[in-house]
Amino acid sequence: MSSQTAERNLLEMPQDSRSERSVIENAHRATLNILEDFALEKCELERAQRATLNILEDFASEKSQLEDFQHSFLNILDDFSQEKRQLEGTQRAVLNILEDFEGEKANVEQANVQLEREIQERKRAEEEIQRTNRDLLAANKELEAFSYSVSHDLRTPLRSIDGFSQALLEDYADKLDATAQEHLRRVRSAAQRMAALIDDMLNLSRVTRCELHRQKLDLSAMAMSIAAELQEAEPGRSVELVIESGLSGVGDPQLLRVALENLLRNSWKYTSGHAAARIEFGKSMENEKHSFFVRDDGAGFDPRYADRLFGAFQRLHTAKEFPGTGVGLATVQRIIHRHGGEIWAKAAVEKGATFYFTL
Amino acid sequence: MASKTILLVEDNADDEALTFRALMKNNISNQLIVAHDGAEALDYLFCTGQYCGRDQDLGPQVVLLDLNLPKVSGLEVLRQLRADQRTKLLPVVILTSSNEEQDRLRGYENGANSYVRKPVDFNQFIESVRQLGLYWLILNELPPARR
Repeated sequence: MSSQTAERNLLEMPQDSRSERSVIENAHRATLNILEDFALEKCELERAQRATLNILEDFASEKSQLEDFQHSFLNILDDFSQEKRQLEGTQRAVLNILEDFEGEKANVEQANVQLEREIQERKRAEEEIQRTNRDLLAANKELEAFSYSVSHDLRTPLRSIDGFSQALLEDYADKLDATAQEHLRRVRSAAQRMAALIDDMLNLSRVTRCELHRQKLDLSAMAMSIAAELQEAEPGRSVELVIESGLSGVGDPQLLRVALENLLRNSWKYTSGHAAARIEFGKSMENEKHSFFVRDDGAGFDPRYADRLFGAFQRLHTAKEFPGTGVGLATVQRIIHRHGGEIWAKAAVEKGATFYFTL
Repeated sequence: MASKTILLVEDNADDEALTFRALMKNNISNQLIVAHDGAEALDYLFCTGQYCGRDQDLGPQVVLLDLNLPKVSGLEVLRQLRADQRTKLLPVVILTSSNEEQDRLRGYENGANSYVRKPVDFNQFIESVRQLGLYWLILNELPPARR
């Protein structure tokens, strides 16, 4: 506004010098005014500039703050993206695990089905066992009744056969010639042999049927008492009985006595053909097992027939050579087997026999 | 000695004949009464049935009792004898074919005085009867009679 007025005043100055001076003075004043105005303006402008600068400064700091903020925001975003990746990784892992679980679950379900089937099978097997057990009990009862009948009823007619044959021999001796008497003696001996077979057969079945009562046993003492009985029954025989001391085993006292008695009695019998004999009872390592043995130096047997040794009613000698029913060793084997042990023999003809057994 | 009677409880006729023969062989001439089943034995001992007029005081010196008998078994006869005051102490010898453990055990459990197995060999049977006669008819003293 004032700069246009000052310019017009300067162009009008030469028209009047007096007025020129006042004009100049007016102009000067006006100029001063203008300059004053301008100074004010400048001041204001400077203030405005300063304010602007301040504002700009403020903006700059705001900007750096914003930049900082942006950086940190970017950092956070970075972090988040890392987290996200990690989360994704975790998620994948979880999914994998879930997948695995699915697989496992299927496996477990399959195993369950298998288990259920096995349980059913086991149940069936148990029922089968129970049924078999019942059958077995019934069969055992029947066998007992049968044994009882054999023991009682089969012997009675044998007593008649033997008794009345003897009555004939005694009462009609004068009417019977030597051949007839010999026939009757054969009838009697057959009846007695059958009675012995029945008794042995019953003992054999009793050994299988009776309950086991296991306890620790002094087998040396048992062998010694049996040996003493044998010597007492036949004091005329010269037999050296060698019994290892301190031998013990766990088993049923009655059954093991029957087994040991059979073995020692056998040795006693099969050494009877020798003028002097030696019978041993001891323990040794055989086939890598601690085994008891009964050894003699008697008639022995041909090892080719060893597999028949433990069969019931099987004999390796004729009744003329050595009497017997062929049940003794079958009985011994059953007793040893019932104790969970084994029995075997080594022998040679006329070189004695050794019977080994484990418990 | 002839007054001492023997009661033989035996259903088998052969065994009866052989027992009689064995007694004869041993010169045991005591009166032998034979009951052919358990019921008859009880009738004789308790004076009932066919023996209802018998004098109870003239009891047998010894009873030879078989176990396997018709009608009433030997063990049942023994039980009834032991349950009755009149025959509680009467000597009873079980004379049987069986040597089953059960029979021996039940025989003694029910109060048998003796258990003898009849051997098949007749000569051994004669010897058994000789020893039985010697012991139960001569050596053994009966308990005092009850009134």
